[in-house]
Amino acid sequence: MSRKKYFFKRLSILGLISFLVAIPLTSVQAGKVIKHEMGETTVPDNPQRIVVLEFSFVDALAAVGITPVGVADDNKGEGALIPEIASKLGEWTPVGARKQPSLEVVSSLNPDLIIADLKRHEAIVGELNGIAPTIVLRGLQGTYEDNVASMSVIGEALGLSDQMEKRIAEHRSTIEALAAKVPASESRTVLPAVVWADGFNAHASSSYTGELLEKIGFKNAIQSAPGKPYATMTLENLIAIDPDVIFLMKYSDVTIVDGWKSNPLWNVLKAVKNNQIHVVRTTLWAKFRGMIAAEIIAADAIKLLY
Amino acid sequence: MTATTTTAFDSGARTQNPWVKLYILLAIAVGLTLYSIGVGAIRVPVWETVQTVFGVGSGKFDYIIQQYRMPRIAMAWIVGTGLAVSGTMIQGVIRNPLASPEIIGITAGAGLASAVLLLGMPEVSVQFLPFVSFLGGLIAAALVYVLAFKRGISPARLALVGIAVSAVFTSGIDYLMTSFPVQLDLALIWLAGSLWARSWEQCIAIAPWILIMFVGCLMMAHKLDVLALGDEQAIGLGVRVEPTRLLALAMAVALAGASVAVCGTIGFVGLMAPHMARRLVGGQHHILLPTAALVGTLLVLIADTLGRIISPPVEVPAGVITSIVGGPYFIYLLYRHRGW
Repeated sequence: MSRKKYFFKRLSILGLISFLVAIPLTSVQAGKVIKHEMGETTVPDNPQRIVVLEFSFVDALAAVGITPVGVADDNKGEGALIPEIASKLGEWTPVGARKQPSLEVVSSLNPDLIIADLKRHEAIVGELNGIAPTIVLRGLQGTYEDNVASMSVIGEALGLSDQMEKRIAEHRSTIEALAAKVPASESRTVLPAVVWADGFNAHASSSYTGELLEKIGFKNAIQSAPGKPYATMTLENLIAIDPDVIFLMKYSDVTIVDGWKSNPLWNVLKAVKNNQIHVVRTTLWAKFRGMIAAEIIAADAIKLLY
Repeated sequence: MTATTTTAFDSGARTQNPWVKLYILLAIAVGLTLYSIGVGAIRVPVWETVQTVFGVGSGKFDYIIQQYRMPRIAMAWIVGTGLAVSGTMIQGVIRNPLASPEIIGITAGAGLASAVLLLGMPEVSVQFLPFVSFLGGLIAAALVYVLAFKRGISPARLALVGIAVSAVFTSGIDYLMTSFPVQLDLALIWLAGSLWARSWEQCIAIAPWILIMFVGCLMMAHKLDVLALGDEQAIGLGVRVEPTRLLALAMAVALAGASVAVCGTIGFVGLMAPHMARRLVGGQHHILLPTAALVGTLLVLIADTLGRIISPPVEVPAGVITSIVGGPYFIYLLYRHRGW
């Protein structure tokens, strides 16, 4: 066969492919319009089959007693969730990693609402909307207040605004009650940090955990501008800041901190001298970011410090 | 075998008709395409799959088949072709069997530009990623060309400058990755190269581009054959070496840049595909280019299909799989061409 004929063959394959593109998408249902981080989406009045692609949204659903049909669980099953939330949920299907959820599985669950994270899923919102109405919120990147605001939007999307607002009011008073346990004279600075084999990433005052701890009265050792929530640190940086209390969220069994312990400089740290380095539950402190998680984090912090 | 191992650019001493091999490859690629449509995290019965492909299914699997699997498979054809043809052009111009789109800076340039966008400017929308990535590849390739220019381009100088520029850009990527370890997710998927969640819109945006470039490359096939003889011979045979080289490189940059822009840097395809194709059909570009395109398509398609079925619902990026195969293949090439 000549070259020319071969091209026609290729062209006809492409033609076939583009023909298949012309298959119509699903039509828009009646419902209410929800404003979110990426515009407005029409969501059914009472969605029943909800897929959530970030952990903070699982927390939001659990807060009003709803079980999602699908959760991006990073392939860890129940272990991906904190037990306090897992126990509140019924059956759900894993839909893959949060950073790369399987859209096949999401689609197979026939969801009527998808809740996606602005940072992780911005690039695939078009595809998600092809499956079901999708709202996009700040989960991963948000501060504590952003997160509470997201809870309101989720309540609205679920058609459960009243329950959600009630739950938020409860949450506010729980946090206030916890804050009341911290004496006004408390002057210690705290520094939560994610640590792994070769890194130490501090969560500063404008991070989710940082802001939450400030809310209950613990000043963060790094006062950061909004939008600069994290700081990668060396041992020298840490000594320069010298926080009174360090909360470690370990991403691996052996972390960079284990190496630092053999360094004489380590013992210079106030937190080391006063035995104020606390290893906390990583899934809870670093991944969850919702009202249920926030209440447990705040209570844990107070328990550890008094 | 002695004839085939002496140089990388021998005609291959092939006895069979190379066109037959091309059609066999095409048949394999079509077969694999059909297989790939049928497999994934969700089991779809074979007959249902066939019906859904032709739009007469129950509708239950419409999204999965038509909007999820088919566009990414079409994308495998598109970027497989783009990367492989780009690699073939570059190997033809640089006359180095180890050359690939990586070597003229495209990959590192696109990678750095993407990393700057994803890590350094987290507030900027990722919708700009393809443009930024394409621009990065273009700038890096232009930089390599300008730096390597000294009364014309010598293939060896181009390769060395390309490696140096790539190294600088790659260290930029490393710097960003160590500075922003928290926002790595998206950047890692991009740098690994993945066909995950590609849409028809993206296919349609990129396909004409790749097709036109591919046809353009085929029209240059004869000149590339002559160029392979070396500069003096090529000039003697009436080929204007410098403009030809520039045009061929520009095509290669456009092809790889466009491919990387939509799918990230799927490694080693631009290196492996031209080689395998050359072993199959010899070094004549009019047959080498389409063969390489098919081999590239097969590589990307196999990698993506494996990535989808290894441990569903978790997806392994196609670029991770091509790199697992590509690394050892590169070492094999180094071994085979030692002393080159």
